[in-house]
Parts: sequence; structure tokens; C-alpha cells
Amino acid sequence: MASVARRETALGREDERELVEAARRGDRDAAEMLLETHELLVFRTCGRLLPPGEDVEAAVQETLLRALKNLGRFTGQGSFAGWLAAIAVNLCRDRLRRKRLVSFLPLEVRDEDGRNPLAAVPSAEPNPERVAMARQAVNRLHREVSRLPRRQQEVFALRFFAELDLGDIATALGVDVGTVKTHLHRAVQRVRVAVEEARP
Amino acid sequence: MSIPHLNDDELNLAVLGEDLPPEAAEHLAVCLDCRRRRDAFLNLVQEARGADPDAAARARVRERALAAWGATSSRHWVRWLAAAAAVIVLSLLPLLRDRAPAPQIINADAVMIEVDQMLERDPLSAVAAEEIVDTVVPVSAESGERSVS
Repeated sequence: MASVARRETALGREDERELVEAARRGDRDAAEMLLETHELLVFRTCGRLLPPGEDVEAAVQETLLRALKNLGRFTGQGSFAGWLAAIAVNLCRDRLRRKRLVSFLPLEVRDEDGRNPLAAVPSAEPNPERVAMARQAVNRLHREVSRLPRRQQEVFALRFFAELDLGDIATALGVDVGTVKTHLHRAVQRVRVAVEEARP
Repeated sequence: MSIPHLNDDELNLAVLGEDLPPEAAEHLAVCLDCRRRRDAFLNLVQEARGADPDAAARARVRERALAAWGATSSRHWVRWLAAAAAVIVLSLLPLLRDRAPAPQIINADAVMIEVDQMLERDPLSAVAAEEIVDTVVPVSAESGERSVS
């Protein structure tokens, strides 16, 4: 699965490095292009790792700002996407720690908050029963993800929601690819089986 | 002989798009049930991902971040400017010090010669004003010299 960044633009590693260099020197256009390329992954990461009620836009903004301020620390060894995701994950962890929240994505609140992913389901769906079933399935998936250990939640969100590849996830979480794979397999096993069991 | 359906591990690999053992890959290629299980999970995840923020929301957040960054950058410029000014002033200090009037160097030998000459002419001038000395020790008319005894 291609990463968000790579799907959105054909920004190569070399171009990316040049943009980072230019942004470091204070080039606003370069900074804007960097953000535009990668902001969606930050939205998706923060949107999935933060609990309902948290201001996702504010978190995304803070993540982007931290990235711009710390461009000098980006070594270029990993991808910019992975580095940016690391900032987003750390920011979400900080916020969760501050709120002393153990889990995220309680779906009841999510529905009230208007952030239910099924809001995107077309209202003209011919079969309301199918819509209800689909909603239940999505709710079940979110609930199962929220029950995973923290590290598995992060890996699952970065892989399936932010669409990062394994290398970028490893960079983001500061672990090796093997560890990412292990967490990912465990997470998929648990969530998939639970969702399948709930299916009528 | 039919190949059995994918087990949990193999199905997880299929969901993650990783390489399957050859037999499992062969089975997946022809088994509608196994493909359905894989696709059902992937579709569910896709649905759960939800709608992405619209362009307006993305632009708004991006602009705010850039504006905040610009503000900090300009504050950094002011700091750098102040630091540069301080460095320049400090580096110029020795030059400014060189331009200050040089301290007078006293030639001690010359002073001592002058003092000796003065005492030779009038030994008491070093201890008291002339009027006081005249009062206490009257000047002898003949010699025109003061007596110290």
C-alpha cells in the first residue's frame, strides 16, 4: 500500500531533501509545499490516535509547527513522512498522558462528535439495514482497535489509517521493522478475528 | 486434492499484503471465500478510515502553522541580530581602548633629583610652610640661614 505522501505527489527523496533545506533557510514556499505534501498523514494520525473531544486541527497545527521549528534536526536518513509521523505520535501521546486516558475512540462519543467515519456513507444508500450493519462493523473495528495495547494501536493506526509503510512506521515509533511487523500481525489477528466473529 | 483455506497467519499476511507461502498464494488465487475474507477486512478498514478533511480545513491549518513559524522565525532574526551586534561591539572594544589617552609614565629618577635639589636649597620646606618655620625658628641676620636646633 503506497504511503499518503507518495500517492499525493511524486516527491522524490532528493526533491524532498532540497525542500527541507530550502525551508530550513526560511523559504516559505518550500515549507508550504512540504506541509501540503504530508499534512494528510498528520490529520489521519492525530485523528485516529486522539480521543474524541480533542481538537484534531489544533494537534495537526502543533505537529506541523513543531516540524517546521525542528527542521534542523531532520537528518534525512529516514523519510520525512516517518519523521513527521513520529512528531505526531509523540504529540498525541503527550496529550493522552496529560488527560490520563487509557484508551481512545469510544464510539458512542465519536458518533455524537460527528466524526464517525460512516458519516461519509451516502445517505441515498438503498438498503438502510445494510447501512446499519456497516456502521456496526465499523464501530466494532474501532472498539477492538481501542482495546489493543498502546503500541499495537499506534502501529495499526499508522499502517491502516495514515497508510505509512513499515519502514516509516519503524522510523515514527523508533523501533525496527521486525518489531513493527510483530505488533502489526498481533493487532490484525485480534481485530480481524473479533470483527469476523461479530459478523452475522 | 484441494488446498485447504488460509489459516489465520496466512490470512493476516494476505491482509498486510505480505508474501504468502507458495501453496497459500496458489489457493488464494482461486478461492473466492478466502479472497472475500481478506477483502472484507480491508474494505472495513477503508471505511473506518473515514473522510479526510476537506481542502479548506487543510489550508486553514497549514496557513496557521506557517504563520506561527514565520513569527518565530522573525523573532529568531531579532535574536540573531542582537547577538551579532553584541559580538561586533565586543570585538571593537580593544580598538576603542587603544584610542583612549595613554597613561603618563612618571620618571621616578627625575622626580627624585628634583626633590633632592629642593631639599638642598631648603631642607625645611619639605616639612612646613615658610611662615611657620620663620616664626618658630627666626632667621639669623648674619648667616641668613635657619637653625633647626
